[in-house]
Amino acid sequence: MDCPTCEAMVDAYVDGELTATESADFERALELCPECRKRLDTARSVGNLLRDLPAEPAPDLLRAKIERELRGIAGRTAAARPSNAGWGERMRWMAMAASLIVAVGIGWAGGTLTGSFTGRGSNDTDALVASYLRVAMAEHPVDIASSDHHTVKPWYAGRIAYSPPVYDLTAVGFPLLGGRLDVIEGRKVAVLVYRRNQHKLALSLWPAESAGNTEPAVKQHDGFSMAEWRHGGFEWRAVSDVSPGEMQSFTAALNGALDADH
Amino acid sequence: MPDSGTVERFRALMLPHLDAAYGFARWLTRDPVTAQDLAQEAMLRALRYFHAFRGEEARPWLLRIVRNTWVDQRAKTMADQPLEVVENQPADGPDPEQSALAGDRRRQVAAALAALPTDMREILVLREIQDLPYKQIAAVLDLPIGTVMSRLARARERMAAELSGRLGRRGHGLPDL
Repeated sequence: MDCPTCEAMVDAYVDGELTATESADFERALELCPECRKRLDTARSVGNLLRDLPAEPAPDLLRAKIERELRGIAGRTAAARPSNAGWGERMRWMAMAASLIVAVGIGWAGGTLTGSFTGRGSNDTDALVASYLRVAMAEHPVDIASSDHHTVKPWYAGRIAYSPPVYDLTAVGFPLLGGRLDVIEGRKVAVLVYRRNQHKLALSLWPAESAGNTEPAVKQHDGFSMAEWRHGGFEWRAVSDVSPGEMQSFTAALNGALDADH
Repeated sequence: MPDSGTVERFRALMLPHLDAAYGFARWLTRDPVTAQDLAQEAMLRALRYFHAFRGEEARPWLLRIVRNTWVDQRAKTMADQPLEVVENQPADGPDPEQSALAGDRRRQVAAALAALPTDMREILVLREIQDLPYKQIAAVLDLPIGTVMSRLARARERMAAELSGRLGRRGHGLPDL
């Protein structure tokens, strides 16, 4: 076997694509060909280094979104079919929906978001992500649907103990979808919901206990972007599946709106 | 629209490969957020084409759809912006001192792979990370097997060159090129 022949076989040999006879021929040729031995070493080291890269499983949110789409499609066809079979189908999908919610819950409680985001432990982060998932996964992500802050702001009166500042940020690409109430760590909290293209962004806020502003700290975890900061007398927490860069521009836009108002 | 029986069959056959689809999408797009969008769109497209699934290996069938979806998305994006913007990836340059750190090696390997041209990157991912045989790689990329073999050879050579630039040659089993 001449070198061009064995050279052409190096990769197929490494990849286990040669027959036993071809492999034996190649191995014999290799003893006489230092160039091809080098090529073989290179191919093997490259493979080992690549196989050593950590696998990244699909984020829970992606899985949940796909499950929701599948349920929607199956639900529509089941609903379109008259007869009792439709009922049984629907019950089955509802059971699956219920198990999905549990699965998502366990996923987060199981600590895929471990590591302190806020400095007060990861419970807070988990609670915020859970709150975001309620927004991202719900049929009706807001309790009061409006892009008008004159409508959203008064809605909170009597529902929570503070009056949240509400701004529509459509001008900078984050239209306000509305507001909702959530319970985070046992407290009733105002959550404003914004949209960025196909993505939703949940902004939780409550009155700050300490004075002064802090710079927004943007982090990314498991496909989520999260921001935490204090500005204008409020604590702000934003969670979304937008990119960290977009999250950064959101925080800047919100701070700008707050400052312009004061 | 697929009926609920089809959706259920799809769920059983294809959802187990969502991790693979997302992993491939990550290396194609080089961005975790875009990869999620791509994987989601590809799964829905796969459901639409599921009637054409003939019981072959599910994972390469799905990966082929991921790749075709990405090619279509990219064609759309490229119409809007010049090539350099799409291809331009902030890759970490070689830093000999940092390379000495063991924990840094994987980061450098990932950066080297991300810096490869698309055709080399995707074939290396399919072979070394997705662990597909040539026949399935050929099906995913729609190439003759001979081309798979020669392209893999070139991709490995290029990857080795990228890596020696980033890691240095000693201690990583990379022979001089």
